[in-house]
Amino acid sequence: MTANLVNILMGGVFHAAILFLVAAGLQVVFGVQKIFNLACGSFYALGAYTGVSAVGYFTAHGGPPALFIIPLALGGLAVGLVGVVVERGLLRFVYDRDETFQLLLTFALVLMLEDLIRMTWGTAPVSTGGLYLNYGQARILGATVPVYNLIVIAASLAIALGIGWLLSRTVFGRIIRASADNREMAEALGVDMRWVYVRVFTLGTMLGTLGGALVIPATAAMSEMGIELIVEAFAVVVIGGLGSMRGAFVGALVVGVLRSVAISVYPELEMLLIYLIVIAVLIWRPRGLFGAAAA
Amino acid sequence: MTSSRREFLKVAGGAAAAGVVGFPAVARGQAKPGVPSDPVKIGILAIRAGIAAPVGTAGLRGTEWWAERVNKSGGILGRQVQLIVEEESNPKDTVERYRKLILQDKVEVVIGGISTGVTLALGPVAEEMDTPWLSWDGTTQKGVEETMPNPKWAFKSVDNEVEAIVAGTLTPKYFKGVQTIAGINNDYSYGHDCWETYQAVLKKMGMNVKPVLELFPKLGVTDFTSHIAAIQQAKPDLLMSSFWSGDATIIMKQAAAVGLFKNMKGVFTTAGGVHDSLKKEFTPEGLLLGYNTMYFDDPKGSPLLKQFVREYKAKYNEYPAYESDHAYFNIESYKAAVEKAYAATGKWPSKAEVVKALEGIEVESLSGRRSWRQDHIQMCNFYQGITTHKNNYDFVTINPIEVVSTKTAMKPAGSKLLDWINGWKV
Repeated sequence: MTANLVNILMGGVFHAAILFLVAAGLQVVFGVQKIFNLACGSFYALGAYTGVSAVGYFTAHGGPPALFIIPLALGGLAVGLVGVVVERGLLRFVYDRDETFQLLLTFALVLMLEDLIRMTWGTAPVSTGGLYLNYGQARILGATVPVYNLIVIAASLAIALGIGWLLSRTVFGRIIRASADNREMAEALGVDMRWVYVRVFTLGTMLGTLGGALVIPATAAMSEMGIELIVEAFAVVVIGGLGSMRGAFVGALVVGVLRSVAISVYPELEMLLIYLIVIAVLIWRPRGLFGAAAA
Repeated sequence: MTSSRREFLKVAGGAAAAGVVGFPAVARGQAKPGVPSDPVKIGILAIRAGIAAPVGTAGLRGTEWWAERVNKSGGILGRQVQLIVEEESNPKDTVERYRKLILQDKVEVVIGGISTGVTLALGPVAEEMDTPWLSWDGTTQKGVEETMPNPKWAFKSVDNEVEAIVAGTLTPKYFKGVQTIAGINNDYSYGHDCWETYQAVLKKMGMNVKPVLELFPKLGVTDFTSHIAAIQQAKPDLLMSSFWSGDATIIMKQAAAVGLFKNMKGVFTTAGGVHDSLKKEFTPEGLLLGYNTMYFDDPKGSPLLKQFVREYKAKYNEYPAYESDHAYFNIESYKAAVEKAYAATGKWPSKAEVVKALEGIEVESLSGRRSWRQDHIQMCNFYQGITTHKNNYDFVTINPIEVVSTKTAMKPAGSKLLDWINGWKV
């Protein structure tokens, strides 16, 4: 009984950990740049594929399999630099345009990145083979939990704390919050918005690519894997409140754990339950649970 | 066009036919008498994105391999083959591309189609367009029943549920004593149909099993940790899944991480479609695994299969999936039908004559002989067996290999699936 409960909870929290990283990327970009980045799911997929390649390169060159998580995370972070290219090359042209343009542009990015992935890695799913099982299993209250899942959960939690610290305790964080609050005022006070936007967007991209890289040992990379996640990330954002980091954290936990509970208790409700909550939040608290506080 | 030129072509064609064996190069581009000399255009519909992309790609590669070989040895009756490839995507767009292939590109035949949703829409259109359509993998079934019982132009793949039926008949043999079962299948027609059929067959085979859990995750989900938790909670004796593509790899890995199959039997009707991704590290021995066909390591495989697998692996650095075989059979059967009709009339056949020649035709495909049943359904063999680590690869293969023909595992023309199963004398 306890073992089952642990299994269900751990399944949900693992899912939430990944969901949080993608949703956090979405939030930080929206909070500052007011752009709803549909491509956050594609960055997740890009990170996943890059992670597979990085680990493949590492093990092929004699890297000890036990350390695979290092090239995995580095690969995921490095490919996040694509955010610089996307922001400077595309997004900066649409900041003052209608929201529809912004949505169309980021949707175009989704399609382009999917094609890019197919051209680079092919159509067949790719994976890191059995490395996932390298770290073994832990027994928690009678349940068997893959240690790797615990590592991902811990990493996600550490990143959440890190972002919290970044936003509240550092100069850069203060600038981000100021820009999110009032862009004109921040600019008038001498903040170089171009510099802020590049960094914020790259940070958002890196959260997504890192999320993709971290999850990949436990699953397999498929070119359309981002699409499914973006839908869930929407739900997270609506529940948590658009632009709020705390919202992304709580929203991801709500979605992850409730989905897991639904699958065990009444599987037909797997996706429906999440949308029911989304609808309820939209009716009773349209700004989401933490919607009032930006970024 | 003068008669002397025609005479010349006739002579040249005859010479070419005579020279095929000794000098294949001479045969190139020299049509037989009564056969146009321009290339014959064949339209191909292939999925190249999404979950079905790996099988779509395998089908296309099998087709291209065929075309290269056939063109090298003189084409069809001396006519070179030109493939015109279009993307299979959603039903609406695919129907438009289908029309384009026929109206604009003027192809003689359209081959391809994988998704059930797309082929349901394509079927009626194919009937209107007066051009043969040979489907790789798509049926025109809604649920488990055929929506087009008497097609004139459409030729369809084996029924969706055959792999579930084969697995259902083999389950009592390998997994005696199973009392409770759970199913995890994708939330689309294929997943639901396989689960329903598998249960019906088990019941008919005299296995008194109780379903304790049925899961239908959406397509595209890449994290089944929570689903596996639900399966652990339900504690079935056996888990059945029609997962394929990346899903099969993912669930196998996530199941291994919690030791799911330590105390549970597993039946994977379709996972063999991505057999080389089922690594030994996380795929246990003792599962019932369906390869459908293209069993690449079949010791009894034909020289044709062995050559195909060897060249495929060399070119793409992966092993072919079953769709290569479906696709190879389709296009090879078209060639055979054209040649059969030509033998009767001495002319390049009309589209309607090709259809007539296709009915009942049997040809050598990669995995052995395959045929078109009179009601335009593909007949072939299915390969299933118990996973083993005893091979030279880093992934599992099956041993023993059970070969089951659609002659016994597919409902006969005109019958209803569940009525047919319920009428079995076991």
